[in-house]
This record gives sequence, structure tokens and C-alpha cells, in this order.
Amino acid sequence: MRDSDRGKMSLRVSAIACYCLGLWPLVAGSADIIINDSAPPGRFSRADVRAIFAMRQRLWPNGEQIKVYTLADDHPVHKDFVKNNLNMFPHQFRRAWDRMTYTGTGVAPIQLDSEQEMIKKIMNTPNSIGYVSKKPDNAKIRLFDYQ
Amino acid sequence: MRKFVCSTISNGLLLLILSSLPGAGMAGYLPDEMQVHGFLAQSMFHTSDNNLFGQSDDGVSLGLTEVGLNTSYQPYDRLNFAIQGLYRRAGDIDRGSFRVDYGLADLTLLEHDAGRIGIRGGRVKIPLGLYNETRDVPFTHPTILLPQGNYFERSRSLLTSGDGGSFYAEQHTDYGDFIFKFNYVVPLGNNQEIRSIQLGPYALGEFSAKPTVVTQLSYELNGGEYVFAVSYADLELGYHPLAGDRFGAGTSFVRPLMISAQYNGEKLTLTAEYNYRHNVMKGYETLPDRRFATESWYIEGSYRFFPKWQATVRFDTIDGNTENRRGTGLEAIGLPSHAAYAQDWTIGLRWDINGSWMLRGEYHRVHGTLWLPQADNPDRLRTTQDWDLFGVQALFRF
Repeated sequence: MRDSDRGKMSLRVSAIACYCLGLWPLVAGSADIIINDSAPPGRFSRADVRAIFAMRQRLWPNGEQIKVYTLADDHPVHKDFVKNNLNMFPHQFRRAWDRMTYTGTGVAPIQLDSEQEMIKKIMNTPNSIGYVSKKPDNAKIRLFDYQ
Repeated sequence: MRKFVCSTISNGLLLLILSSLPGAGMAGYLPDEMQVHGFLAQSMFHTSDNNLFGQSDDGVSLGLTEVGLNTSYQPYDRLNFAIQGLYRRAGDIDRGSFRVDYGLADLTLLEHDAGRIGIRGGRVKIPLGLYNETRDVPFTHPTILLPQGNYFERSRSLLTSGDGGSFYAEQHTDYGDFIFKFNYVVPLGNNQEIRSIQLGPYALGEFSAKPTVVTQLSYELNGGEYVFAVSYADLELGYHPLAGDRFGAGTSFVRPLMISAQYNGEKLTLTAEYNYRHNVMKGYETLPDRRFATESWYIEGSYRFFPKWQATVRFDTIDGNTENRRGTGLEAIGLPSHAAYAQDWTIGLRWDINGSWMLRGEYHRVHGTLWLPQADNPDRLRTTQDWDLFGVQALFRF
């Protein structure tokens, strides 16, 4: 076996090993976080986005309450969003939301069934935030900017 | 057999009603300000010796049924109402009862974009360790039975919820989130299990709890990837003896201090909690006044080997009295020496079939009988030191 073949072989073996260990990202895309056009501009960090979706940061900088919408835990766009935008895992959000819901200490985000429903909700709900695979061309929906 | 059939039918009916509810909720009948959630869980247990949740020894006990339904309503940004009803049937400790688990008004006093301060009044949950607040919500913990050394099934009524108020403060920073809770509540507990824990099986009177302080500080990093918490409670129980009782009108103080840590990775979750309970018993006349410590801890690892499958291994241990870990002389109050401790190795498997259904099973190898319920085992001297426990649970949620 030549050296280059051996290199390719070991690359393949490590790729298979990574895949088996779940280290290989199956889908690498990140989601577009979208907001209703009424939401105020501001400087937001990734920690802020995490806190908003964990329902811990409940207000926009202008004092209006943030309306948070999500998709189901196993929805591919939800998985992309949580993993690639926030560097978290769906079960971490599930834990936080369940704790609130079942102790009376908070309210979980409203879960929607599809991206179409998400677009409709964000379009029609002032101060709302959500995410889709690609931001639609719509004057009432803005891309949410964060560092 | 008839009991089995009846219970299966009634649970089935309940399940049918519950499963029709989310349809109503999701179809948009409810405004966004209002949410309804709930669950139904049925567990079965078998033990090699000793009883848990009914007659499980040499048989199968259908003894643990849990149904929960909650709703919340937010009329204003700063005000939220929440209530949860629980139906629970657990062996001979609780032969089927409904209770309001929490029912509260939550008023935000001060809120800014990085945190808030507020108060909750009514019936509130008691924050002790990582799981006490959601101990009756099965899918929030990896195994059917929580580590019993730290989350007693038998004294549960004392610590599930209390009537009173709670002050809370939350602050989220780039370095993690801080959550502080300070509760001043009257615990609801007043049952024979607490009496048995305190005074053994021969006592006749009743315990009642005085207003109690329970407080917790928790710190979460990376949206809950790392969780640390310190919890403390100061419980005071007054004993009211009956005529012919061998004990006087004494008072017991139970002060648990709990330290918790958890790592939540993509596939691996590691949890450890340590509980040091300082106990004081005085004024029981026939018992000398005494102070002693109860110590318990557990370490647990869970691995999600497929997205919907999780395996868990845990070691859980408790010593009722750190100065008498072997239980010398317990026979005098009707308990075997192995009622002084319990060590429990658990393996469990959980399958989250979809967002609504979950199935899981577990096996426990237990050395010691400290946390066995008195009601399920009236004659403690006939319990067995080393025993096995098998459990399965089916759950539906919405």
C-alpha cells in the first residue's frame, strides 16, 4: 500500500469512527433567526439569543415583551438552530422549558408545526422572534442580527 | 385480577381524554397567553423481597399511577397565573388522591433585559436539589425512581410543595445564569410515613410542619450545559401524641443542605448530588434528646446512544445516622439494623418514542431498607437486607 493510499484509508477510517461516535455533523447548515419588523434594533450576543429562547430574557430593549416561537424538538430546522446557531442541544432547551412548565415558574415558547406557520406567526405578531431555514422575502420580517 | 382490569380500563379512558386535549390546544382554540400541558404515567414494579408501591414481592404491583394537568395564563406582561393538579396512586402510602400541586400568582417586580426579580404567592414548589420541584413529573428525570437516598418517596409529602410565598431573582450574564429562590412556606406533609421515619412504627400521634425556609442558588453555564446548585431547608416538625403513646410532645428539626452538579453534553449527562441533613430531636420524653446527621449522595451517568434512547447507570447511598451507620440497637424501636442504610445500584433504559410517548425500564440492586415505605411493609423486622427491584413505566404527555 502506498503512503497516499494509507493516508486516504486512515482518513476514511477516522471519518467512519467519527460518524459512529456521532461527532460528524450530518447537517451543517445554520438557521435564519427572524423577527417581526416591530422589534427594536439592538446589540445582541449569542448568550442573549440563548436566554431569549430559554425564556429567561423576556424583554426587548424598549421594554416590550418578546414573543418566542419554536418548532418541535425533532424538527430538522430546530436541530440546526439549536446546534449551529446557539451551540447547544435540543434536550437542554427541553429541560429548561419542562422545568418552567411543570413548576409554574415560567411559560415555555409556543411550539409551531411547520416553517410556513412560523413565517405566518412572525409576520403577524408584533415583537416576535423565531427561526426558519431561510428568511422569506417579506417586508414585515427582518433577519435578527447577533454577534 | 379485577383490580388490575378496572385500573387498566380507567387509565385507558383517562388516556383517551387526555390525548384529545392537545388537539384542542394546538388547533388554536386557546389564545397564546394561555397554555395547557399534562401527562399520564403508569408504572409497574416487581421486587424479589420487600414491597414497594403495593404488593410487589413475588408479584407485580400496578401501584404507581400519576396524572398531571396544568395551565398558565398571563393577563399582563408582569403577572402570570399557573396551576397544576395531580392525581397520584402509590401503593399503600397514597391510595389514590388528587391534590393541587401548585397554584400561584407570579408578579414580576423588576425586569430588565438581563434578568428579573419577583414574588410568587399561593402554593409553590419547594426547590431542593435538581429534581425536587419536578419529582412528580416523570419525564423530567432519567429513571422511574429518583435516587431514593436523596429524594425519599416515603417522606415526599413533606417536601413536594408548600403554602406561602417565594422571592426569586434571575440574572443572566455572558458568564452564565444565576437563579436565586427564597421560599417561606408551610409544607403540606402530615402523614404516617414521616412519623415512622422519625419515631419508628410504634408511634401513634401526628406530626405537623411549622413554616419553613427553603432556599436555593443555582448557576447554569452555556444554557444548562453545566448546572451547579446549593439548596438548604430548615424544617420544624411538631409531634402531637395520642393517649397511650409511648412518646411525648416533642419537636424535630430537619435541616438538609444539598449540593448538586450536572453536566449536560450532547450524548452524555453526568449528575452528582450530595445531601447532608442535620437532625435534632427533643422533648419526646421516653427518647433522649439527640442530634445526628443523615448523609446521602449519588452519582449518575446517562448516555444517549441514539437520539431517542438513553441508558442510565447510578449508584445511590444513604446512611440514616452517620454515628451509627450499621444500625446498632434499632430493634428497640421496631426496626432491623439494615433500616439504617441503603445502597442502590441502578441501571435503566429510556425510549422517547416521539414527543408524546415514552417507555422505560430499570433494575435496582439494593443493599439495606432505609427508604422502604412503612405502609407497604408494616412489619419492618421481616424485611430483607438485599433485594432486587424491577420497574417499567409508560408515559403519555402533551
